[in-house]
Amino acid sequence: MSALAEILFGGLFQGSLYAMMAVGLALVWTTIGVFNFSHGVFMMLGAYIAWQLVELGLPAMIAFPIAVVVMAGVGWILQASVVRPLIGRPNIVLVVVITTLAAGSLIENGALTIWGPRSKQIPALIAGNTTIGGVGVSLHQIAIIVITPLILAALWMFLNRTRLGLALRAVAQNEDASHLVGLNVTALYGLAFAIAASLAGLAGIFMGGYRFMSPVMGSDPLLKALIVVVFGGISSISGPIFAAYLIGFFEAACSYYFGLYWTPALLFGVLILTLMVRPEGIFASRSRGLA
Amino acid sequence: MTDTTSPTTLGHAEAATPIAPGRTPWKLEAIGFVLGFTLLALLPLIFGDTYARHILIMAFIYAIVASNWDLSLGYGGVFNFGHLALFGIGVYAYSLLTKLAGFDPWTALFASGVIATLAAILVTIPILRLKGIYIILVTFGFAQLVMQVIISQSAITGGTQGLVRIPGLYLFDHNMVRDGKFAYFYIALALLVASTLFLRVFVRSRAGASIVALRDNEEYAISRGVSIVRQRMLTLAASAFFTGIAGAFYAAYQRNASIDVFGMSLATIILSMVLLGGTSTIYGAIIASFVLTIFAEWMADFGAWRPMITAVLIIGVMLAYPSGLVGMIKASWGAVAGRLKRPA
Amino acid sequence: MNPILSVEGVTAGYGRVTVLHDISLEAGRFGNVGLFGPNGHGKTTLLRAISGLLQPKSGRILFDGQDIVGHSARAIVGAGLIHVPQGNRLFPDLSIADCMALGAYSPRARPHEAENREKVVRLFPKLAERWRQRVRTLSGGERQMVSIGTALMSHPRLLILDEPTLGLAPKIKDELCASVMDISRGGVPLIVVEQDIEFLLELTQQLYLVNHGAVATEIKPGESLDHGEIMSMYFGH
Repeated sequence: MSALAEILFGGLFQGSLYAMMAVGLALVWTTIGVFNFSHGVFMMLGAYIAWQLVELGLPAMIAFPIAVVVMAGVGWILQASVVRPLIGRPNIVLVVVITTLAAGSLIENGALTIWGPRSKQIPALIAGNTTIGGVGVSLHQIAIIVITPLILAALWMFLNRTRLGLALRAVAQNEDASHLVGLNVTALYGLAFAIAASLAGLAGIFMGGYRFMSPVMGSDPLLKALIVVVFGGISSISGPIFAAYLIGFFEAACSYYFGLYWTPALLFGVLILTLMVRPEGIFASRSRGLA
Repeated sequence: MTDTTSPTTLGHAEAATPIAPGRTPWKLEAIGFVLGFTLLALLPLIFGDTYARHILIMAFIYAIVASNWDLSLGYGGVFNFGHLALFGIGVYAYSLLTKLAGFDPWTALFASGVIATLAAILVTIPILRLKGIYIILVTFGFAQLVMQVIISQSAITGGTQGLVRIPGLYLFDHNMVRDGKFAYFYIALALLVASTLFLRVFVRSRAGASIVALRDNEEYAISRGVSIVRQRMLTLAASAFFTGIAGAFYAAYQRNASIDVFGMSLATIILSMVLLGGTSTIYGAIIASFVLTIFAEWMADFGAWRPMITAVLIIGVMLAYPSGLVGMIKASWGAVAGRLKRPA
Repeated sequence: MNPILSVEGVTAGYGRVTVLHDISLEAGRFGNVGLFGPNGHGKTTLLRAISGLLQPKSGRILFDGQDIVGHSARAIVGAGLIHVPQGNRLFPDLSIADCMALGAYSPRARPHEAENREKVVRLFPKLAERWRQRVRTLSGGERQMVSIGTALMSHPRLLILDEPTLGLAPKIKDELCASVMDISRGGVPLIVVEQDIEFLLELTQQLYLVNHGAVATEIKPGESLDHGEIMSMYFGH
C-alpha cells in the first residue's frame, strides 16, 4: 500500500512540475516554430523575483501572483528582443537556439550578480506536513498536485474556448492566413512567450518552496521538459501534459524499485526505444496545432 | 620518358576538370592551409609566456570541437546538439581508460576517438527519420542523459565531483610538466592540423558533396540514389572522431575531468563559435574559436560581467548577421566578384 | 463612380528579385475586375502587396482614397479589404466554426458576425453539415468554401479571390462559380484572379492581362472580346 502511495504521489508531484514547464515549451514551438532555450532561466527568475518580493515584506499570496505577472512581461520582452527580429530569416530555428541560450546566460549571470550564489528558499504555498497512505508528504506538495491540473485546465479552456485562444491556435497553423483574417501576429507571438514564461515562473515558485534555489536551478527542469516534449510530441500541448505525468510516474516507480542510481539510465533507454518506434513522440498526432 | 609524360597528363586532367563555381582551387587552399598553420606553429616565438601558450592550447581544442560540429551542423544540416556530449565522452573515456583500466595514454587517446564515434553512431539511430527540431530535442536529451548517467554512476565516474589526477600524455623522456607547455602546444596544434585536414578532404570529397546535396534538397538527393541513413551516420561519425580525441586531449592536458563539459555554458560558447564563424566553411569555426577564446581572455578584467558581455555580443552579432561574420564577408565579396564578372 | 482600389506604379518583389514593375490598375469603377495571365508573372505578388503581406518598394495603393502602403495586413483587413489566398491552405486543424469565428476577428466585422454567418450558411449549406469538422478532413471544394466563407465573415468591402477554382473538379467548380456570382450580386465588389477566362468574362466587367509584372492589356466594358481574341492575346506575346 505504501509503495503504491509513494509512487502515485511522487509521480503526480514530479509530473506536475514537468507539465508546467513542458507546456510552455510546446506553446512557443507550436505558435512561433522556435525553441526557447531560456525557458529554464524563466523558471529560476520567477522564483527569485518571488523571493525578492517576499524579502521586501510582501505576503507570499501577493508576491507570487506579482512574480508571475512580471514573468509574463519578461517573456514578452525576450521575445521582442531576441526572437521577433529573426522571424522570416532562413535557419531561424538554429539562430533562435543560440540567441535564447545567450539570453538565458545573460539572465542567469545577471541573477548571480544581483542575488549571489548563496542558496535561498521561498515560503511554501501551505506550510506543514501530513501522512497519506503511510507516506509522509508536505502540504506544499499536495497544493502543487492540486493546483497544476487546474492551471493546465484553465490554459486548455483559454485555448479552446476563447477567441484570443483561437487566434493563438490559428497563428500556430498558418501565419500568412492569420495576417489575412486580421490577427495581430506579432502580439500573439509575444502572448505565447508571455504565457510560457509565466508558467515557468510559477513552476519556479513551486520549486523554490520545497528546495533551495540557485541561479542554475532551471537547467535540470529544462532538460526534463525537453525529454517530456520529445516523449509527448511537441506539436500539441495535450501530448506533453500526458507525457509529463507518465514520466513522473515512470521515475517514481524506477527510483522506488531500482533506486535513484539507475533511474536516469532507465529513462534514457526508454526514451531511445520510444523514438525508434515513434520518432514524433508517443502522443503526437500527425498534425501541428494547439489542442 | 616517364618524366615528361606524367606531368602533362596531370596538367591535362586538371585542365579538363571544370572548377566548380564558388570553390577555391585545391592548390590555393593547400597553400593557405600550410601558411596558416605554419604561422600558428611559430606563435610561441612571439608569445613567449606559458600562459599565452595555455590560451592557444584551449583555442586549438575549441577549434577542433567547433569545426567538427560545423561538419554535422553546417554541411550535414543535422542539428546535433549532442556534439558536446561527444567531447564529454572523449573526456571521460580517456580518464576512465587511463585511470581505471590502466591503458597507455596514447592508446587511450585514440580509443576515446573511436568510442565517441561509436556513441555518435548510436545517437544517429533514433534521429535517422527525424527532422529539424526533433533532432535538436533528441540529441540534446542524449547529451543531458549521458551527463545524468555519469553523475549517477558516481562510484566509477566521481559523479559531480569529477575525476582528478588523470594521467597526462608523454613524449619519450620529455618532461611534459616543466617545459612551459611547449609539448602540449605542439600536440594540440598537430591534432588541429590533422582534424582540419580530415574535415577539408572529407567535405571536398564525393561523400561530402552528397551530404550537402542531402541537406539542400533531400527528396532530389534521395531520388538520385543518396542514402539518407548511410550519409547521416557517416556525417555524425566523421564529426565525432576528432571531437572525442579533443576531449581526451583536454582531459590529459587538464589532468582532471568534470561534468562541466556537458553544461549549457560550454555548449553555448562552442555553438557561438560555429555560428559566428559562419556554417559550412570549417575555417570559419576555427577562426571564430581563436577570436572568441582570445576575446574572452582579453575580457578577464570584467570578472562577473564577462559572460554577460559575451552573451550580449553573441545576440548582437546573430541579430545583425544571422549567417555569421564569415557569411557577411562572403556576401560582400560575392557582390564585388559578381560586379566584376558581369560584362559592362 | 470612383475606383474603390487603385494601384499606382507599384514595384515589388522578394529580396533582390523584382516581380512587379511599376504596375498600375484600378478596381471598382466598372464593377468586378478580373486578372489573368501566365503563372509566375506577378498576379499573386500583386495581391500580396495589396493586402499588406508584402511591402512594395515604391508606388501607391489607394483603398477608398487612402494610401494603404505601409499599413499592416491587420489594418487593411480592418478597413474591409479581404484577400482569399490561393490554394485553400487556411487553418487545417481548426474546425469550420473556428474559422468563421476567426473571420469575424476584426472589430469592424464583430457586430455583423451573426448576420454574416447566416449569409455564409445560406451560400454554402454544405458547410453547415460539417460545422464542427476539422478543415483538413474536408474536400478541396469544401475547403475553398471555408476560405471564402471566412473572408465573408470579415464583412468585406472589397473581396479579392486568388484562383478560387484551382484544382477543383468541373462539377464542384461550377457550383463554386455560381456561389461567387451570388456574392457579387450581394453587392460586394470583387477582384478575381482566374485561369478560366469564360468564368471571368461572365463574372467581371473589366479585365487586366498581367504579364512580366505589368499590365499588358486592359479590357474595359464595351470593348468585350471573345474568347479567341483573348487567347491570342494570351499567347501572342
